[in-house]
Amino acid sequence: MALLELRNVTSHYGNVQALKGVSLHVEAGELVTLLGANGAGKSTTLKTISGLVQATEGDVLFEGQSIKRTGPEAIARLGISHVPEGRRIFPGLTVRENILLGASNRKGVPRKQLEKEADEKFEIFPEIKPFSGALGWTLSGGQQQMLAVARGLMAKPKLLLLDEPSLGLAPLIVQNLFATIRQIRTGGMTILLVEQNANMALQVADRAYVMETGVIVTSGPADELSQTEDIKRAYLGG
Amino acid sequence: MQILFDNLQVLFQGLALGSIYALVALGFVLIIRATNVVNFAQGDFAMLGAYGMVLFFTTLAWPYWLAFGAALVAMAIFGVLFNYGVYYPLRHRSFLPVLISTLGASIFLQNTVLAVFGPQPKPLEKMLNTDGINIGGIFLDSQYLMILIVTVALVAFTYLFFEHTLLGKKLQATSQDKDMARLLGIPVALMISITFVYSAVLGGVAGVLVGPILFVSIGMGSIIALKAFAATIIGGFGDVTGAIVGGLLLGVIESLAAYHISVPYKDAYAFLALFIFLLFRPQGIFGEKVSEKA
Repeated sequence: MALLELRNVTSHYGNVQALKGVSLHVEAGELVTLLGANGAGKSTTLKTISGLVQATEGDVLFEGQSIKRTGPEAIARLGISHVPEGRRIFPGLTVRENILLGASNRKGVPRKQLEKEADEKFEIFPEIKPFSGALGWTLSGGQQQMLAVARGLMAKPKLLLLDEPSLGLAPLIVQNLFATIRQIRTGGMTILLVEQNANMALQVADRAYVMETGVIVTSGPADELSQTEDIKRAYLGG
Repeated sequence: MQILFDNLQVLFQGLALGSIYALVALGFVLIIRATNVVNFAQGDFAMLGAYGMVLFFTTLAWPYWLAFGAALVAMAIFGVLFNYGVYYPLRHRSFLPVLISTLGASIFLQNTVLAVFGPQPKPLEKMLNTDGINIGGIFLDSQYLMILIVTVALVAFTYLFFEHTLLGKKLQATSQDKDMARLLGIPVALMISITFVYSAVLGGVAGVLVGPILFVSIGMGSIIALKAFAATIIGGFGDVTGAIVGGLLLGVIESLAAYHISVPYKDAYAFLALFIFLLFRPQGIFGEKVSEKA
């Protein structure tokens, strides 16, 4: 049984159909990447999984259970952590508070324990440790992304959804970030990664799906896909 | 010397009056931050709190502090009802339908109270059984003193609650980014409900405190709400500290101007202050232009 499975999912933004029958699956322990151009429906796919957008047809299964009609709060409690596009750091809360709130899906964990876990996150992301007491909006884009991932990990998710973590970041920071993603993955985390930076994504992923205008057009092991001529031409700039 | 004492006396009354504005303004701001909507029934929360006191204390003759507690519990329950009756059904709509909804609620509440209690204003007992104390020629009325003490206590509690508890942080997170809060598993509907309860209780306390000074009447909430709204703009729209400072400032301006210039224009000074702020510092004392960051 796959940890996550999408069966022929369609969804709409108002009258616009954003997903036109998407099927994919993520096995426990895998790092799967979802590639595609702007507007292909990658972010919508993640939002449909985390419940921000409701699937109109098809089904979304998490650990074998349908979560198609489940709200985002409840899905977070089931163990899916969505780090959305644009980081969405709470601007008026401090870095530490942002991290602490990442555990809001876990009931009855003592504050002390959460503070300890927050300290552990600062070990994974030493770049943001000096800004522990600074307000979220004062961070740079790269620091905000680190914070967003740290906050996402506080949920102790079974599945981590990462939406365009490299967006708007300098190449060196992207390298750094992907090294951390690789490290998190080595720790046993299952990750579904949406990226426009196909080159970086294919380097860390086990498998990849390629989306175009609401449908999946290609899929396969990451190392195979990175050798495919079409993919090279369309996404890898060669 | 006498002039100094007189001014201090007026300042004291101004701060007490300003405390009432501050409490109602704080209620305004908490709801603005949580829902992005100005609650036009905010003043009526104070009116309801005062009538709750009239019911439990004057009519049912319960002991004062029991009646006070009962009025606050009633306000808390009312906060939940208000959320689910006035805000919740419209939460996915733009601000305008919600705003109209709160305006309708205000009219409904005033007329319901009118039907139950009649048009005659009701007197309300002071919190303490003493007139007040005299310190070096300045007379401190016991009710004004209680207003100040209770307000300081409530502001301190609000600060501790919002800044030092995870629940307070979740409430803040909800007001800053609802979708992200939901993605983290924060129960957003519950958070908004808590905000309405808190805001209704704050309003209720303000009403009980000001009741002995103003007489309890159907329209008492409207004038308080107007001043409190002016206070939120002067302090910086949506800013918690601004609401408190703005409220106190308005109370002081109003009292000093009434004493030195003319009493009949008492209500006008607050709005004159509002005009001056709108002309020269429209973002308010603590407001700043919000900068978007990638």
